[in-house]
Amino acid sequence: MIRLIRRNAWVAGLCVLFILLAVTTKLIQPDYGAGDFGSLMRAVLPYAFAVAAQTVVVIAGGIDLSVAAMMAVTSVTAAAMMNGASESHALFVVPFVLALGLCLGALNGFLIVWTRVPDIVVTLSTLFVFQGVALLILDAPGGGAAEWLKGLVVGTVPIPFLPESVTAWIPKALIVLVICLAVVWIPLRRSQLGLSIYAIGSSELAAFRSGVSVARTKIAAYAIGGLFAAMGGLSLTLSTGIGAPIPGPYLLASVAAVVLGGVALGGGKGGLLGPIIAVIVLRLVRTDLTLLAVDPNATTIIEGLIMVIVVMLGAFLAMRGRTR
Amino acid sequence: MTKSKLLLPLVAAALMASAGVAAAKEYTIGISNTVQGNGWREEMICAMKAQALASGEVSKLNIAHRNTDAAGQLEDVRNLISAGVDAIVVNPADPAGINAALKEATDKGIVVVAVDQAVTEPSAYVISNNQEEYAYLGAKWLFQQMGGKGGVVYMRGAAGASADSDRDKGFKRALAEFPDVKVVHEVFTGWQQDQGKQQILDFSATGTPYQGIWTSGIDNVIVDALVESQAPLVPVVGADNAGFVGQLTSVEGLKGAAVTNPGSIGGAGVALALQILDGKKPDSKLVLVNPELWENATDEGKAKLKAAADPSLSPEWPVSISIPGWTTYTKDQIVACKGPGE
Repeated sequence: MIRLIRRNAWVAGLCVLFILLAVTTKLIQPDYGAGDFGSLMRAVLPYAFAVAAQTVVVIAGGIDLSVAAMMAVTSVTAAAMMNGASESHALFVVPFVLALGLCLGALNGFLIVWTRVPDIVVTLSTLFVFQGVALLILDAPGGGAAEWLKGLVVGTVPIPFLPESVTAWIPKALIVLVICLAVVWIPLRRSQLGLSIYAIGSSELAAFRSGVSVARTKIAAYAIGGLFAAMGGLSLTLSTGIGAPIPGPYLLASVAAVVLGGVALGGGKGGLLGPIIAVIVLRLVRTDLTLLAVDPNATTIIEGLIMVIVVMLGAFLAMRGRTR
Repeated sequence: MTKSKLLLPLVAAALMASAGVAAAKEYTIGISNTVQGNGWREEMICAMKAQALASGEVSKLNIAHRNTDAAGQLEDVRNLISAGVDAIVVNPADPAGINAALKEATDKGIVVVAVDQAVTEPSAYVISNNQEEYAYLGAKWLFQQMGGKGGVVYMRGAAGASADSDRDKGFKRALAEFPDVKVVHEVFTGWQQDQGKQQILDFSATGTPYQGIWTSGIDNVIVDALVESQAPLVPVVGADNAGFVGQLTSVEGLKGAAVTNPGSIGGAGVALALQILDGKKPDSKLVLVNPELWENATDEGKAKLKAAADPSLSPEWPVSISIPGWTTYTKDQIVACKGPGE
């Protein structure tokens, strides 16, 4: 048990931070309850998928600046396709949009491998390209979403053998998030591809000399990033019921949570759990600032300061741990 | 034991009485806005704060004010619900995209008032400037000034905002009355000053002739651009922003009109929310404030402009800093931009 905690010290630290924040929230607003936690998880959803997309790419030693733009493209595609269509039509739309995300991501990866232009430049240009594509699909916010899709993240589900007082704290949004991430991440982590992604992130040359196909692995990492971004786009459409062509604030948020989640920006280190807990922490900070009625012009400063302090503290503790 | 049994109902009654008194005078109001750093929106926020302070009925304002999308506004509105506010005044990012959270709020008995732009959620109240009329008034005046013919540059607001689509209806209605007026260039400024200025400079550079410019409130920078590039001063229609109203009285040879679009509608929204909380519900769920047009082509219009001009305000602030019949704060209060407890 102690070994497990020590191996996942960063994640454990984030969990403690989350619990502290949760207690603070309860102190600020004694009425904060299960319903409010459900709202938090629904707000987390698009951010969490953006972070997952960024995490996979960063672990592979890259960075994807087009995450938010890919979310916009997939979100407007879903909203445009579902507009006025039957409920069952969405059964076809969801896999199509996920495949679209996979292709957009793979395109990023392919361009990086093929042109040898640095990933920051390639994904910056695809950011603009995807923004334009989103506006071509829908020039203004609009479209629609199937009711059953919207219902997917609202409320709770009864779980057998668990009392209602417990299931109330397990909102559908959290279940959807865990299932979507686990279905992709767990098999990936245990596969050869997953290992290769970590390998090229640590050292491309070493990975190449050990027989890893760097090009193929990189394209796959970006493609999986695109898949997660498509999930994020879908979550935007089903929470608002529309598609918005102008990308939201998800790019910087995704990088922030990746850093806060203990993933090395140089690549090769970290997991998915840390960034996901980090993104929940960041949303809860926003909730607390609203509950406290902090001057809105100061809130972003506070959010930024909290991030810097946490990362510095984490690095300091990690350094002390190593020297001992 | 018996003593405490006797005391208990007394204490409970006293608590309930004090709670009843407190509820009548001590409201908490939540505010959600998704455009930060824009003069009109800043005036709106200041009007909300000033009205809350002047009413004496508000103990605390919870303001969620940042640049975000509809999904971010859903988060903000839900956080305001968690904060236990009595009313939420919201400038919606999208007419339909935030309905889910607004419904959750009204289901909990929270009064929801949308200002500036409409929402499609039927349980919410809407108090808004009449945006269709705003565009119709200004466009009609402009087309008359152009002699009923020629090319017009149509500088719109933000794509997809309901205020912009309502204004488009009014503009098209006026356009239909003048068959010889053609739109030579249509562009979205996003209600951003720098962007609008760049767009008019880019268009002037193409050399396409035009006889008039209609703007959705990004006005003073357009006049600046025309003056700086020494382009012919065609008639310009804008909003009642302090900078533009000043230009209409001071720039040599400029013909133009300002259509009122008070940012103080935010204060009216707070006033409406408080009325509803006090049990005085309006007859209709939609309250529209009608615009006025001030032009500098006639002496009567010039007098109105002179009376309205206020160089002490920031050039991006609309000069109509109050709405008669709705807002009760003073000019000092809105300029100070302080809410209750600040």
